[in-house]
Amino acid sequence: MIKSIKEVIAEKDLLFILAKRDITVRYKQTVLGILWAVIRPVATMFVFIFAFKQIPALSSTNKYPFQLILFSGILVWNYFANSFQAVSNSLLVNSNLISKVYFPRLIIAFSSIAVSLLDLLIGLVVYMILCIYFQYPITFNILYFPLVIIVISFFSIGLGLILGSFSIKYRDILQIIPIVVQYGFFVSPVVFTIDSMLNKSWFIYYLILNPIVGLIEISRYVLLEGYKSINLLQFLITLTSAFLCFIIGITIFNKRENSFVDHL
Amino acid sequence: MKIVEVESVGKTYKLSNNDSPSYKNGLKSFFNSESKQVFNALTDVSFSINKGDKLGIIGNNGAGKSTLLKILSRITQPTKGNIYVRGKVASLLEVGTGFHPELSGRENIFLNGAILGMTKNEIKSQFDEIVDFAGPQIAQFLDTPVKRYSSGMYVRLGFAISAHLNPEILIVDEVLAVGDADFQKKSLGKMKEVAAQEKTILFVSHNLTAVQNLCNKTLHLENGKVKHFGETGAILNSYMAENQSRKLNHEFENFNDAPGNEIIRLKKAEIFPQLDPNIDYWTTQNSFTITFDFWSLLKSANLNISLHVFASTGECIFNIGSEIKEFESGIIATKIDIPGNFLNDGNYYISVMVVQDGSKVLYNFENLFEFEIADYRENTSWFGKWPGYVRPNFPINIVQLTKSN
Repeated sequence: MIKSIKEVIAEKDLLFILAKRDITVRYKQTVLGILWAVIRPVATMFVFIFAFKQIPALSSTNKYPFQLILFSGILVWNYFANSFQAVSNSLLVNSNLISKVYFPRLIIAFSSIAVSLLDLLIGLVVYMILCIYFQYPITFNILYFPLVIIVISFFSIGLGLILGSFSIKYRDILQIIPIVVQYGFFVSPVVFTIDSMLNKSWFIYYLILNPIVGLIEISRYVLLEGYKSINLLQFLITLTSAFLCFIIGITIFNKRENSFVDHL
Repeated sequence: MKIVEVESVGKTYKLSNNDSPSYKNGLKSFFNSESKQVFNALTDVSFSINKGDKLGIIGNNGAGKSTLLKILSRITQPTKGNIYVRGKVASLLEVGTGFHPELSGRENIFLNGAILGMTKNEIKSQFDEIVDFAGPQIAQFLDTPVKRYSSGMYVRLGFAISAHLNPEILIVDEVLAVGDADFQKKSLGKMKEVAAQEKTILFVSHNLTAVQNLCNKTLHLENGKVKHFGETGAILNSYMAENQSRKLNHEFENFNDAPGNEIIRLKKAEIFPQLDPNIDYWTTQNSFTITFDFWSLLKSANLNISLHVFASTGECIFNIGSEIKEFESGIIATKIDIPGNFLNDGNYYISVMVVQDGSKVLYNFENLFEFEIADYRENTSWFGKWPGYVRPNFPINIVQLTKSN
């Protein structure tokens, strides 16, 4: 596994140029261009603000502006969902490259998260503007956010590689990916918080099985001052299961990599 | 030192009735992997080449050439056997791999260069040369998305980038078969230039003239197996001798079985090239003899024969007729000698008519012969198709008229 990561680093020029290609092409021939990176999370937020206005119990459980809870959740979830989908589809999208020239195939998977990463950064700027609007303090804790993003990236690359590797031969997987994203949104604390679940006996399994729960919560911890998040042990569990997913992803990918071309 | 070694390599593809597994046979094959049909694209292929060798890989369609190149360039893995490739490899299986239509020519040079294994600095330092090689039209539209390029421009830009790769081992698949004659000239010239360096080249081509002139070694694949491997001259000789398409003789013992009509029947037709002592196939320099014998049941008729030679495109290249003579019924024999250095390389077919009184066609034996004439060139640097249907070597007198200093 170390070897395949090293191969990717050795070809970083290619990694960056593929990332640049995806970013350049992303908003070509659109009128609003990069503004779409702002519009999508903001629109999602408004939809849920509207929905939860009708359920006062939910919107009043916290001492933080509910808009910020929503937006931070959507920000992290969108990054995970987009990068996960990009990674799982990357092999098929770039099949013309895979079948014509050799380079470490992992580069394709790694470079495909670039667009989502850019969207996330833009979303983060929007988040800070919202904080200022709600007169909510931004603390130095936010400097840890990049570390959290790295962990999320590992998780989404890992999960993307698992599904992406199998999708080459079994195209059924392509039908599963949107379902994972759609249902995942509701089983992760994107538009709710985990306050009420912390003491439940099953909470630990929830964390292990769905690392994105811990990752969203820890993101809120660094983004929102005084947010009551998961404890250190729970965080370590999240970290372990995210990295485990990454390792499994790379291992499966390495094993199946050699036969990709034969099924494209 | 062997720079490329291939040891009993085999590649097997599993075939299922339709490529994507349905749940029924998908589940079946999932649990029982032996029930699948297999196709051997390559079987027990072994060869090795030294540094600086230029290897031509030839064979009919489906012989396994492309599969072998894919294995050598690490795009796919062999099912059996080992390969050792020592050195930096660049493989050109198509021109402009990974070009993105939305990106400009400039951006695509960097993208394609990186995909082919160049570093950013290498591309930067050669950027001007690449644009120069691609031609003035590309230079003018360097910042236009390549989706607006003509297909010719697209190919020129793609080739210009690949021509500036600097690998130790270059793997090329028929990319030269694209573009107009001018561009082919340029790209083959570039190949020749690369070949002159101490580079190792593996080159798949149907253009045997190019193989003959570029490659010192040749691998002939047939049905996924090595048929011959060795010095180019010897391999091409046996390859051409085996594969030259021909329908060269017919002979019929009795009138009733022979083709023709109630009065004219074919007895014997033969076309016979005078081959060179050391080349076993028919080239442009060989002369050939056509014999045509037929039965005629007409008594004291004024007969002649008329011979049409057609190119594979269907165009008649020439038509010659014999003198009209009076013949009794029986067997009539004709013989025609066609000189060498006359027909160009290509595929031809011949029809023969038997004519009465110089105008009435008694019978037309259509497509009586089909044959292929191979190219023959020495000391040339142009490997493209030699234009024209005929290829006479009329002497041209060329002298210097004045000298200026």
